[in-house]
Amino acid sequence: MCWQRWGVMSVTLSKLSLRNAKRQAQDYLVYFVTVVMAAALLYSFNALTFSQEINTLAQSMEMLPAMVAMATVVVVCVFGWLVAYATKFMLLRRGRELGTYLLIGLENRQVARLFFLENLAVGGCALALGTVLGGLLYQAFRALTLALFKQPYRFSFGFSLPALGLTAVCFGLIYLFALGRSRKYIRKAKIHHLIYFDRLNEGVVIQTRKKRRWIFGASILLGVVGTGLLMVRDLAIATAGAGCLILFLFGFFLSFASGVPAFFDKRPARKYRGVTLLVFRTLTAKLATMGVLMATISMIFTATILSEGSGLVFQGLFEGRAAENACFDLYLGVGDGRDPTVYTDYIEENIPVERSLEYQVYLSGGHTVRDYIESQTVYYYFNFVQEPVLRWSDYAALRSIAGYRAVELPEGQYLFHCMTYLEDALKSYDRPLTFGDITLQPGGVYTEHLSQSGGTVNGRGYILVVPDEAVEGLEVHHWAYVAKTAQPVTRAQFYDLWDINERTSSGIASNAITTRANEEAEVATQTALCVFPLFYLALSLTMTAATILTIQQLSESERYKRQFSLLQKLGMNRREMAKALRTQFAIYYALPAVPPVLIGAPFILHLASLPEPGVMVGMSSPLSIVTISLGIFFLIYAIYILLAYTSLKRNVLPQ
Amino acid sequence: MLQVQNIEKYYGSKNNVTKALDRVSFDVEAGEFLAIMGASGSGKTTLLNCISTIDTISAGKILLNGVSVADLSEHELAKFRRERLGFVFQDFNLLDTLTIEENIGLALSLNHQDPGTVQNQVREVAGRLGITDILTKFPYQVSGGQKQRAACARAMVAGQSLLLADEPTGALDSKASKNLLEIMTAMNRDMGATILMVTHDAYSASYAKRVLFLKDGRVFNELLRGERGRPVFYHEILDVLAALGGDVSDVI
Ligand SMILES: Nc1ncnc2c1ncn2[C@@H]1O[C@H](COP(=O)(O)OP(=O)(O)O)[C@@H](O)[C@H]1O
Ligand SMILES: [Mg+2]
Repeated sequence: MCWQRWGVMSVTLSKLSLRNAKRQAQDYLVYFVTVVMAAALLYSFNALTFSQEINTLAQSMEMLPAMVAMATVVVVCVFGWLVAYATKFMLLRRGRELGTYLLIGLENRQVARLFFLENLAVGGCALALGTVLGGLLYQAFRALTLALFKQPYRFSFGFSLPALGLTAVCFGLIYLFALGRSRKYIRKAKIHHLIYFDRLNEGVVIQTRKKRRWIFGASILLGVVGTGLLMVRDLAIATAGAGCLILFLFGFFLSFASGVPAFFDKRPARKYRGVTLLVFRTLTAKLATMGVLMATISMIFTATILSEGSGLVFQGLFEGRAAENACFDLYLGVGDGRDPTVYTDYIEENIPVERSLEYQVYLSGGHTVRDYIESQTVYYYFNFVQEPVLRWSDYAALRSIAGYRAVELPEGQYLFHCMTYLEDALKSYDRPLTFGDITLQPGGVYTEHLSQSGGTVNGRGYILVVPDEAVEGLEVHHWAYVAKTAQPVTRAQFYDLWDINERTSSGIASNAITTRANEEAEVATQTALCVFPLFYLALSLTMTAATILTIQQLSESERYKRQFSLLQKLGMNRREMAKALRTQFAIYYALPAVPPVLIGAPFILHLASLPEPGVMVGMSSPLSIVTISLGIFFLIYAIYILLAYTSLKRNVLPQ
Repeated sequence: MLQVQNIEKYYGSKNNVTKALDRVSFDVEAGEFLAIMGASGSGKTTLLNCISTIDTISAGKILLNGVSVADLSEHELAKFRRERLGFVFQDFNLLDTLTIEENIGLALSLNHQDPGTVQNQVREVAGRLGITDILTKFPYQVSGGQKQRAACARAMVAGQSLLLADEPTGALDSKASKNLLEIMTAMNRDMGATILMVTHDAYSASYAKRVLFLKDGRVFNELLRGERGRPVFYHEILDVLAALGGDVSDVI
């Protein structure tokens, strides 16, 4: 009997709530899209962690699942927050409707159930759609990863069951948390409160002028100090810096909204100029109740930009360091006068070599160039007690094996080959050098990659190249071998060489074995390990925050619509209305993004300039990293802003 | 100053047409206080919207100071509305994010007045309408009567020549209604405002100098107050309504 009644009611009610849901769909479309994207992201990254193909690409790729899992925990929390926030928000916006159900005699329990089922249905749709999208997204990640490892990619669409399961669990957690909260709220809600919630006017944040000014000033100061502290290479101090920044954001956003009306009250002439009045009142009405939210969003944006920037810095660091060593298919450097034949025998037997060179790196007997470099740059750390020297004929062969263009060594001259960061210093070195009874004049500087970062390689940052006769009588620093191989050196071969090394010498550190294949795999691994999880995080964070901002904006469309239709009656131009809306929009979305840029840009610049010079170059130069991190952030952000703006413009401006 | 000539207005699609206005004609002289009376659904709001150029007419002509509003472009219409017309609506229509002062000042800033003089102009008008002490409040902090007075202030602060009021007392109690109507009378008498008010309420209409009766979209009768007192005029209006055969209880 009771069930029957409930059944009948729930049919009409679900019709009603469906109609309501439709009406609100426009406002919450952006939210729905984000939830779908959340499911897609969760699924694709879960699939990545469960993929045998991906995780065995390189040995350290085994770490990928753990890294992604850690990111997933954060991502679930972030999306959980988003869903909880949006659900509560919709609940309050629909208070009148839900309150009316109570008014006509439904029990709180039933209304809560209705709301719960409704949201569960929406969540289920999002999960289903998102998983399909995630399947495609996974293919994109897979293609990207395989390309990174220079492996062939073949499209093969399919779903990974464990990934599906894990995604469903994550989604379940997100939704149960959010819905549990709103269910509790409805169960306790009073009709009056539900019905009249949307009538409540935004409370003006009451603060005395003096207090507000004090908070505003102090927060700006904290922001500057915090950004500075963040760059100190000390965990405790950097943490304190982060604390300062959080205080800054809250102080700033809480004092800002209430400070603006005060500012204009004292300057009525400015207030009444153009569309200022409308823009600032619309904004402050919104911001007055959004201070904490704005600060939180700003914090999220800061975290996003910082994680994008750090991801790129680490990636650039690995890539830059590897590039120097990836110039030869195979390089061996054996110091301390040990017998190199154990290696060459192995190579002869196991690795097909197209061309190879055995040579020696000599010591010049002096260190005037090093002294000069040290006087010119602060960055140089030396490994060689004396200047490292290469014989001209060896150098010419090395260039040829590495595939560089041939160069000349004019009579009576010497050359420098160096890493780019020493180029300027060495170009300005104009003194002759003497080897025995031969005196040589400076003849030029070359800067291609040549394995120059270490002890038993071609110098530390730079090496001298002298005519063959000049090295006679010079001390040998180490023996070296390079080869151009028919195929890339395999991982097994590489490990064999290191095994030989371990068996035959005690001081492993003094020897160097590098292969192009290994360096590249290493870079690919590091890229996958730091870029994927960090960008996974960054993407989720940006989307969440942008969605909340957009929900807030779109939920005002009814009010904006009334406002603009009145303004039209009062004779405002459509052009001016569009301008007011645009300006309001621009400021609204710029506000939470400005502090993160001001904090993030200097921090990333600083972080990117920490590694030794010559590493962070090209796409990884500090400036391009800042540009790319901000670019990615603003690209995603812009999509949301554009979506919100077009939807709002269409809905609220009179025809 | 305003001539309405034979205007018609239809709503709806081809096979389901509502005739909201049917050959309505009348003139409004400068400095007049004209009331248009009619039952709910008789086309009052439609008429007012047509005059205020918010809505377009299906046939006929509306001339304001000799200019036909149909000939004006969208841009000119907007300019026309903000310079010449003032509005007071039943449901107040103040922007709730703006203070009372700013709501009034809005009319000036829309007219691109020198921003420096806005505040003083607003204060002057507010003083005359007795709302000086609520200027810094937000609409939700003041009473309905005060909101309507603020709307009146907005409707005349920029020197608009015609005040259009749509059931201005509709949402007010009798005391606040009386107060507002007295203020409108004073605006008409002392400040030379031309007022066109539509209402379904005979009491409100009795404050006007002339009353037009609208029924089913047509003008049925006209009543001039002349030198008679307001209570007398009020009873005459009721008599006309009764004679019109309209449902009197609906009108009162
Ligand atoms: N936008 C519209 N679409 C269709 N019919 C309308 C519209 N506006 C008003 N009407 C009809 O026109 C007639 C007059 O309406 P209205 O001018 O609002 O009357 P009043 O203001 O006197 O109560 C009514 O029958 C109403 O149903
Ligand atoms: Mg009406």
